[in-house]
Amino acid sequence: MVSLLFGLIGVLYYQSAQKLMLSDRRADLTKYAYIQTKRLKLLHHFFDEKRTYPRDPRFVSAIYDIELVPIFSLLEQPQIAFDKEIYIIGDKIHFIKTLDTYYLGAKYLILEVENSGAWLENFWRDVILYGLVAFVLFMLLGLYLAKLFVKPMRNSMVLLDRFIKDTTHELNTPLTAILANIEMMDQEIMAEKNRKKLTRITVAAKMVSVLYRDLTYLILEQEKESIEETIALKALIEERVEYFDILARSKQITIELKLAKVSLVMDRQKCIRVLDNLLSNAIKYNHQGGRIVIVLREGYLSIEDTGVGIAHKQIPLMFDRYMRFNQSEGGFGIGLSIVKKIIDEKGLDIHVTSKEGRGTKMVIVW
Amino acid sequence: MVKVWIVVVGLTLVGVAEGVYERNCVPCHQALPSTLQQMFKRYLLVYSGEKNLKASIKHYLQYPDRSISVMSDLFIQRYGIKSKSWLSDAELDEAIEVYWDQFKVFGRLQ
Repeated sequence: MVSLLFGLIGVLYYQSAQKLMLSDRRADLTKYAYIQTKRLKLLHHFFDEKRTYPRDPRFVSAIYDIELVPIFSLLEQPQIAFDKEIYIIGDKIHFIKTLDTYYLGAKYLILEVENSGAWLENFWRDVILYGLVAFVLFMLLGLYLAKLFVKPMRNSMVLLDRFIKDTTHELNTPLTAILANIEMMDQEIMAEKNRKKLTRITVAAKMVSVLYRDLTYLILEQEKESIEETIALKALIEERVEYFDILARSKQITIELKLAKVSLVMDRQKCIRVLDNLLSNAIKYNHQGGRIVIVLREGYLSIEDTGVGIAHKQIPLMFDRYMRFNQSEGGFGIGLSIVKKIIDEKGLDIHVTSKEGRGTKMVIVW
Repeated sequence: MVKVWIVVVGLTLVGVAEGVYERNCVPCHQALPSTLQQMFKRYLLVYSGEKNLKASIKHYLQYPDRSISVMSDLFIQRYGIKSKSWLSDAELDEAIEVYWDQFKVFGRLQ
């Protein structure tokens, strides 16, 4: 749009500069035409004795009759636009004077002069100079407006970041205490009713734990240098599935594992963050009694669920920070942004296929 | 007698060879102070273009009138308006063609 506007202004300015130049030249050419007409008059009266067409070092000329037939011409550009008074043709300027008295039978006197091109150089100089100034001004204005419009969004993100940072520190101690005490409880001697309650507490605490670790990673650990090690992915996946087992069972979700023995060199904590987020999402957004299939082979890991899915047009946005498409489950919308960050940092690729109401398949390849 | 006939036939042939312009235009204009070329230049000043000029001459020869004459009032006062031409259309066209070729500006300027 801005380019189009600049283009339009450029064309208008070009036309205006050309008109101005022609207007300047018109004054000189009118004077030359007057002189040449006087010479033609003389030649007309002394045509019996004199046959040499009058020449002038400042211009060349031609005379045409009323039927537009050339009587005599010295022009280098023979194409003449009789409907115009002055115009540019190639590297020449033509000026057409209509004679009132047809000396030598001529109705049109055409003068031709060089089009020096100095005006064009000035035009380009002005266009580049003013164009650059206008471009910079537009850019600054655009930047200012963008900042103005983005400011409320930035403010809310800063507030959220600050809130997360502040609350994260306060979450650690109680969460650790809850999880440690749950593990220490002897469920064997518990009544069935209490055991179910404990299971619910465990599920909730583990979900909070995943969220806590995400937040910790986001705020504290992402800047840390990675500690690369060879990870036995099959064992790690089994461990993480075991961790989420109680969560999956609470929704009667079956997890099917098709795992080959594959190892990957990566920071262990980051790998856990990826697996935990993909697994917890597959459980959270799955239907009651749904299914999760995890396939691992060399260079390939997929986690497929039979959950709510996501609209095709929303897939490119799902890795954005604080982006949430489903409000039915808790969270800040940071899990997948962490996954994408780690995947990109490691140079892996992640592909998403999803159908609303049918489920989602996340594939990581390396 | 035979010699007389030869002279008569000879003169007739010369007359035919002279053409309609030389026979019908030149003799009368020779008596006028303004030459045929000067008159041609007067036509050029008023009627630019070959077709235009030829048409205007032909019209004047067929319908001579003071109001459409290219000559000055002084000239007309002194010598009057010519009488209507009795030449046919074809003869007029031929004579005007010769007149045009003789005095045209086209191809004469250097």
